[in-house]
Amino acid sequence: MINNTPLYQAVLTGDATAARSNTEQELAKGADPLSLVTGQMTPAMAEVGRRFESGEFFMPELLLAARAMKASMEILRPLLADCNHKPIGRVVIGTAKGDLHDVGKNLVGAMMEGGGFEVTDLGVDVSPEAFINAAQEKQADLISISALLTTTMMGMKNTIMALEKAGLSEPVKVMVGGAPITPQFAEKIGADGYASNAVEAVKVAKQLLKIA
Amino acid sequence: MGLHEVGCIHMRENLQSAIDRADTENFDAILMGYGLCNNGLVGLHARFSPLIVPRAHDCITLLLGSKERYLEYFNNHPGVYFRSTGWLENYTNPENLSQLSFAQQNGMHMSKEQFIEKYGEDNGLYLWETLGAGQLSHYDKLTFIEMGVEPDNKLEKRAECEANNRGWRYEKIAGDLSLIQRMLDGEWNKVHFLVVPPGKVIESTHDERIIASS
Repeated sequence: MINNTPLYQAVLTGDATAARSNTEQELAKGADPLSLVTGQMTPAMAEVGRRFESGEFFMPELLLAARAMKASMEILRPLLADCNHKPIGRVVIGTAKGDLHDVGKNLVGAMMEGGGFEVTDLGVDVSPEAFINAAQEKQADLISISALLTTTMMGMKNTIMALEKAGLSEPVKVMVGGAPITPQFAEKIGADGYASNAVEAVKVAKQLLKIA
Repeated sequence: MGLHEVGCIHMRENLQSAIDRADTENFDAILMGYGLCNNGLVGLHARFSPLIVPRAHDCITLLLGSKERYLEYFNNHPGVYFRSTGWLENYTNPENLSQLSFAQQNGMHMSKEQFIEKYGEDNGLYLWETLGAGQLSHYDKLTFIEMGVEPDNKLEKRAECEANNRGWRYEKIAGDLSLIQRMLDGEWNKVHFLVVPPGKVIESTHDERIIASS
């Protein structure tokens, strides 16, 4: 059973040390890097998401699972690049201009990577220009912006307008989230999507990019 | 005080309850000494008395004297953490609210020792750095807003000490009580105050007005 493998369990229980060593052991036994991601890590992160939605896991458990996944991905990522593995989508994430709170954004990024996306994390206090430039450079399908303050959320619209001005509104979708963000606000500023937490963010991203 | 910590739903419930209990026979209006506070004011109903609400994202505007001064300072100092005379002197999180706090509800409320005890040394330290101290990891400055009512410089020293302990830059700026004074004096100009008539509800405008009623 997939959920009995050491790597799956290490990610699910948030054991980064075990995730790292299990990944190395599997590779030493000849495991294919891509199958470790799609066959064990992605299902583990999906189970993490399910437990978060059912109220069994909270932010600490999500963060620890994400950390374990990242530990494994540090080893696997170069190997996946070598075999020309294509992600299911390319996402650029960051917090809105002036906003320095990144816990939520970091979680979204980790869950997206766990869900098979290639994630470019621009960090905090990201200007509209920086979002657009990164989206063009990485040929991103999606920009994900978060904000924790009512002061900074007002600036999210500037990135959407800048995308429109650059003629990129169609190929590049925008989703927004963060504590003060609401679905009504997202609609008002012309965002394509909204998510209330990191687990939902992955589902919304897949819906926006029409990925099963 | 500290209602912003319990999230907008509980903050709204607490405030609405206070509004509904207010004496509307002997008073003409209810003055709200709150900012939008992450949408804690959204959805509040004015019942039989109008609500007078300063146009402010949070209390810092009330302490700095205007939303314009606040926005200018905020835009020029994105990584600043504010302390003020009142917050330093009076803030304690009431017992009946701490259980509802966003931090408590999301497993983020623990001390470093508690994180380590629950999750082990490695994971516990990581969670402390990410969720505890880490929430402010990108801040690099503490600004003390001196309101001019201090009996001595003890609070200023505490603020400066906190800045040093965190490795942040420190600045002291003068607060401005004129916005609060005008609220108390009944000088409610449209630019800086929202007057919510009875029967109307507060909403967020997502622009320079900050709030409106409908």
